[in-house]
Amino acid sequence: HSCPMVLRIAELTSFGAGASASTHQPNSKFTQQELPACKPILTPKWVISVFLLVGVIFVPIGVASLLASNKVVEIVDRYDDACVPSNVTNKLAYIQNSTISKTCRRTLKVPKDMKQPIFVYYQLNNFYQNHRRYVKSRNDQQLRDASKANETTLCDPEKTRDGMAIVPCGLIAWSTFNDTYTFQHNTNNLSIDKTDISWKSDRDHKFGSDVFPKNFQKGPLIGGKTLNESIPLSEQEDLIVWMRTAALPTFRKLYGRIYVDLKENDTITVTLDNNYNTYSFDGKKSLVLSTSTWLGGKNDFLGLAYLTVGGLCFFLAFAFTLLYLIKPRKLGDNNYLSWNRNSAGH
Amino acid sequence: LFKVATECSVVLCCRVAPLQKAGIVALIKNRTDDMTLAIGDGANDVSMIQMADVGVGINGQEGGQAVMASDFSMGQFRFLVPLLLVHGHWNYQRMGYMILYNFYKNATFVLVLFWYVLYTSFTLTTAITEWSSLLYTVLYTSLPTIVVGILDKDLSKSTLLAYPKLYGSGQRNEKYNLNLFVLNMLEALWQSLVVFYIPYFAYRQSTIGMSSLGDLWALASVIVVNMQLAMDIIRWNWIIHVFVWGTIAATVICLFVIDSIWVLPGYGAIYHIMGQGLFWLLLLIIVVTAMVPHFAIKAFSEHFVPSDIQIGREIEKFEALNQVNHSEIPMRTFS
Repeated sequence: HSCPMVLRIAELTSFGAGASASTHQPNSKFTQQELPACKPILTPKWVISVFLLVGVIFVPIGVASLLASNKVVEIVDRYDDACVPSNVTNKLAYIQNSTISKTCRRTLKVPKDMKQPIFVYYQLNNFYQNHRRYVKSRNDQQLRDASKANETTLCDPEKTRDGMAIVPCGLIAWSTFNDTYTFQHNTNNLSIDKTDISWKSDRDHKFGSDVFPKNFQKGPLIGGKTLNESIPLSEQEDLIVWMRTAALPTFRKLYGRIYVDLKENDTITVTLDNNYNTYSFDGKKSLVLSTSTWLGGKNDFLGLAYLTVGGLCFFLAFAFTLLYLIKPRKLGDNNYLSWNRNSAGH
Repeated sequence: LFKVATECSVVLCCRVAPLQKAGIVALIKNRTDDMTLAIGDGANDVSMIQMADVGVGINGQEGGQAVMASDFSMGQFRFLVPLLLVHGHWNYQRMGYMILYNFYKNATFVLVLFWYVLYTSFTLTTAITEWSSLLYTVLYTSLPTIVVGILDKDLSKSTLLAYPKLYGSGQRNEKYNLNLFVLNMLEALWQSLVVFYIPYFAYRQSTIGMSSLGDLWALASVIVVNMQLAMDIIRWNWIIHVFVWGTIAATVICLFVIDSIWVLPGYGAIYHIMGQGLFWLLLLIIVVTAMVPHFAIKAFSEHFVPSDIQIGREIEKFEALNQVNHSEIPMRTFS
């Protein structure tokens, strides 16, 4: 018996051949893992430059965003609490009583000059359009295709009424917002443009021009807007806007646009119909008039975020510079290898 | 016997029967956590090779039985050196990183979905379309992982053979340990918070729809996760470039395709939101903010508490490796 392998290591001598002795596979650069490659290493120069670059780019963007947000003029008026008469104790019963007139007048004051187009939104708080059961409660086939009018899968509980399919079915359509607003500007009537408030792609491809509402809101519980049965779905823009479900529980939806300039200290009188029931779930309703810039509506967050991150990166650049000066290290120095370090007593 | 054996650095056993050879390996294997490797060339080595964690067979003069019983087989004993020092090291580094990275990337994505649940009155709505959620693991983040796991290497063959002690990094669990896992999970947590909350605060009282915001979250997640991989890649060859950047491009294409199917609720969403300046600014700040901690930690640890691997990489880049050109280690002969 020959002695086992432990001894044999001493027999190694240096031959010329390399370790990869395979003769079957072609020794290409790929199979031998010798593809040319760049090997970036984070040197102090790179680290500090990257942080400085980020800081230098972000701070101006932050400033520009804050300036844009400051230019936006916004009027937000919450009206759901004020528009219920003070002698009403049961708000839910009040809102569900269709015989009482829900007309309400609100007065808004323009804080700064507002240039057209001015966007009119309604804002809802605490309304979960992103609730899973709610989001699924629609049938896109039915909305687009007149021949698919009886497709009501997933639309529970608003599928059929008296044996006939509801068009458009589902909870989303059933709960369409139905407050209406008319405006007066310093005693003149202000017209509001309610066309083109929805996405063109929705009007053209998602909602059919030959699909008409049928059997809609005929039940005992009316959830929202009733639709004119002679207007096809592709022209029911309020419905289309509403059916683009909002992402978050506090959201706005476009109601219309005003193409008139408003001056500072002008008075806008709003005559609104307080129809929509947000009282059963502690929701809030507000009316918003807002100008817009390249950044959208009023939002200081983006500017502040950019300034914060830019400032942080400047701070990190400074901190790293200090660290590199205090504790410099030569790159690629053998002496830092752990076995050399321990023996040399570093 | 075991105590004496473990005190020595080399133990010689002579006149040993095959079963005893296996017994020696079993002794070490059962009483310690160490990995055992057995190498042999004859039929009498078969039981030892099968007992060990890694069995290496030599295809030599004594026939092929050892080869058939082993995990690796070679032509000569000296090939053991590159097997361990080069390929063993590479495999350890790749596997360790890939496992940690896979946990991290899935955790990041799932956490983004989770934060949204807090705002949907705890119903499990996913803002990210179901198709994108499916494609996330299958397409958006899988190929770079595979390619990096195959091709990336931390040190070249010549460096690893010139400094055999670099092998010790595997023995010390430097690339795959609990601390690294916890760090990865914390990074996943931070990045998911950044990806979710920056758009949340930006769009909080706006007209944003669920599908549009979901598209932003999906794209931001994919970019952040791939940037994290990109920062950790050590060796960039053309294949890795193609797969990393190509995957991000493929993600964008998929988002467009998904949002062009009219039956899905997200129809048209990506076209609409990409036309807004806010979208692009948000994407930029999300990616940068998510990567700042990883970058800072990397810069700090690689410079001020460098591991041997890091020193090795710097040696490769900045100093000419003037000693070893062949893949052998010169051995001292016994006098």
